[in-house]
Amino acid sequence: MPASARSRPEDIVENLSSGDTSARLKALRDVKNQIIGNRSKKLCYIKLGAVPRVAEILASDTETNLLVQSAAAVGSFACGIDSGVRAVLDSGCLPHLLNTLSNGDERVVEAGARSLRMIFQTQLAPQGATFFRSGGALENILRLLASANDDISEVAASVLARCCDFPEQRAAIAQAGALQGLLHLLTHPNPRKVETALDAIASLTRNDEQQSRALLNAPGNPFLTVIIPTVKERSGKSRLLACACVANISRTCPEYGTERTTGPPGSARDVAAAVISALVKLVDCPGEAGEEAPSVLAHFIADSEDLQKLACDADAIGKLSGKLAAGSGVLTPRHRENIFHALAALCSTREEGRRQLVESRALLPVISGLEDAAPGVRAAACACTKSLSRSVKNLRTSLVDASIAEPLFKLLGDPDPSVQATASATLCNIVLDFSPLRSQVVLDGGGVAQLASLAHSMDATLRLNAVWALKNLLFMADSATKARVMREVGYPTLAALAQDPEDGVQEQALMLVRNLVHGKPEDIEAAVRPETGLLEVVDRKLASGARPEVCVQALYVMVNVATGTEEHKERVMATCTPSVLGRFLADESNPQIRVAAVWVLINLTYSKGGNVRSRIERLRRLGLDAQLHKLLSDPCSDVQDRAKTALEQFHEALQPLPQPSVQMVSAHIC
Amino acid sequence: MGKGESSSKKVIGREDWEKRLSDVKIRKEDMNKLVMNYLVTEGYVDAAEKFQLESGVKPEIDLSTITDRMTVRKAVQSGNVEDALEKVNDLNPEILDTNPQLFFHLQQQRLIELIRSGKVEEALEFAQEELAPRGEENHQFLEELERTVALLAFEDTANSPVSDLLDISQRQKTASELNAAILTSQSHEKDPRLPSLLKMLVWAQNQLDEKVSYPRINDLVNATLEDPV
Repeated sequence: MPASARSRPEDIVENLSSGDTSARLKALRDVKNQIIGNRSKKLCYIKLGAVPRVAEILASDTETNLLVQSAAAVGSFACGIDSGVRAVLDSGCLPHLLNTLSNGDERVVEAGARSLRMIFQTQLAPQGATFFRSGGALENILRLLASANDDISEVAASVLARCCDFPEQRAAIAQAGALQGLLHLLTHPNPRKVETALDAIASLTRNDEQQSRALLNAPGNPFLTVIIPTVKERSGKSRLLACACVANISRTCPEYGTERTTGPPGSARDVAAAVISALVKLVDCPGEAGEEAPSVLAHFIADSEDLQKLACDADAIGKLSGKLAAGSGVLTPRHRENIFHALAALCSTREEGRRQLVESRALLPVISGLEDAAPGVRAAACACTKSLSRSVKNLRTSLVDASIAEPLFKLLGDPDPSVQATASATLCNIVLDFSPLRSQVVLDGGGVAQLASLAHSMDATLRLNAVWALKNLLFMADSATKARVMREVGYPTLAALAQDPEDGVQEQALMLVRNLVHGKPEDIEAAVRPETGLLEVVDRKLASGARPEVCVQALYVMVNVATGTEEHKERVMATCTPSVLGRFLADESNPQIRVAAVWVLINLTYSKGGNVRSRIERLRRLGLDAQLHKLLSDPCSDVQDRAKTALEQFHEALQPLPQPSVQMVSAHIC
Repeated sequence: MGKGESSSKKVIGREDWEKRLSDVKIRKEDMNKLVMNYLVTEGYVDAAEKFQLESGVKPEIDLSTITDRMTVRKAVQSGNVEDALEKVNDLNPEILDTNPQLFFHLQQQRLIELIRSGKVEEALEFAQEELAPRGEENHQFLEELERTVALLAFEDTANSPVSDLLDISQRQKTASELNAAILTSQSHEKDPRLPSLLKMLVWAQNQLDEKVSYPRINDLVNATLEDPV
């Protein structure tokens, strides 16, 4: 039909709505044949409004040819360009495409299924939700899974693979019996069928304990006999997907993880080694398999130090760094993101991994990744720096040399909250007292100001990380640093954080106060002046029965305040704390709480004079010395020792021992 | 036979060799599958049908798809590229939608056919409308496009530096690329297995030559064993 090329696109589009069936068919074929493979033609016809007209044919015509051609045209519009996918989705033709799956003519089913696959391959697809709204569609897809036609069953599996985003969806798919159908496909001689089935199984089991266990214990042992051998054979994509299945099971089923570490040779332990080796080799594989391999590797080793070691021994870091060194320009953003995530996992717990990463010269690409245009890449590069910053050595050397502080500060103000979260978590480590970067943070007041403003964030993780970082910044800090930080944070904010709806934030805020009141009496005075209201807030925590972790921190604030002047000790005495201390001394569930409570008594009764006798008298009246006597036989030796010291002070208050007062501070690696 | 012990190479005589060969059991079904694989991949539908009847071996794919594939292939070979495009789109729209290089080569072939039939104006229009946007998307395509359009610049194309494009072998090249893409879309290997087995035979004999003297196969068509030297 060479003449068709001459017709104007406008006329062809007009004919799509012609009353004459053969004219409609011809117009459809013309559109389809012009747009397939041709981006500019797709854009042209989308502009002319062809998509809604094609969708209309799909919705209202019944003739096989028209349905086949319209389904094919819709699929082509959705292939390769986002605006095409959007036009197709906006046209509302998805339910009609789903209807084609139950058509009596296999050609219609095949064309419809192919189109659906095109749509579900894109990121814009409404991820499976449609299936659960459209009655019977899921059942239809499962029926197609068993189709003798390779194309159809493959399409069904790949649609299923894109419908596994939410636990309810996975449960519905599993309940309809999909796993059996998919496992059956695994034994098919056609490698593409096996690949799509693996894809669906991997999606179904990802982060899903129930589905992972169903796969692990499926009758006939297909996990052992089919999936695991696939790790070593077949196409790159199949190897990757088989590895992903093993990773999913390993992450969600604890019994499999146990078998991995303690099982005999030939068991899960060897499988893990094979999977790691396959994944590391796949890093060099061209195409999707190579791009996704680092992501599967990161997922697999995330929680396991022994797997991280296995991967490092297989030179994963060298391979991944090599990819980065080849120039990040040639890698897609997704590829860079995956590599950074893998590197972050590889050096999350092991110092050896961190050393390898620094030595493989991957640090520069990581630092420049912090300024990448794609938010996912920035977050992943930041995760790398977080892992690296867990090393004291790196904090003192390589990270300083790489001038990491500045790009990190920038990320605190990143538009993407997940980037901000990782950046603030990294800063927690950067500001530890042994890190030369701390002074940089303090001197360049901008960092403190940013952390202070993050402490107001609506996002609980950001608040947590910001307070955590500020707490670490104040660990063993001098008076000037404390004053500087509090100028930015403000006492009302700190008081509010100590009463945050999230327990974790409360705990960190109280640790911050604890660090603030550690040191000279001036430091204590600045924080517990009545105007700040801080002591009152801390006291209320203890009186109101907050959670044990929060109470421990609140008690240590009192411990530190009681190291101050006579006046400070009397201020502690004036709170409700002495009257509730008995409850904490008798708390059998938590030795840490008992230790903290005894420390309060030690510091209140340690003195070279002043009011100490009066304080001891008041504490005795509360029955606390009797409770201390009971603690001499405490199961926890630390409690015993401290109680002994406290009692000695109770008895020898007239002739005080030259004992140093004890102060408590707190810092944590994040 | 039986050379002296002084010889550096071990010699295996014909009798011994044939005995060893007959010890290797190859299942008849496997041989038949190999033949069927060749017939299907190369597109010999009639022969495949007859062979199926005779041997009982099932072809790996529906034989009707071979017919479709051969029609598409023939269309390109006879210069009806547009026809081939429509047919392959009917077969499976994903083939050309997901394979920009193949799509470009088919469009290029269409341009060549227009030039061959002397439709200069149509050829220019087609190059500008259909091919130029592909050239913008991909630098390699642009170079190939420039070479093709150069055909229009020569009066005597047969003696031009780009004469190869008008050669029948160019059609064969495009047809084979399309054929391979269709086979891949049907999850079938692009090439039959038999030729690679023959390649392995030749390689194995060359390796063996360095160590032993044995009855070699030099005539691959008849597979006759030559006496060892």
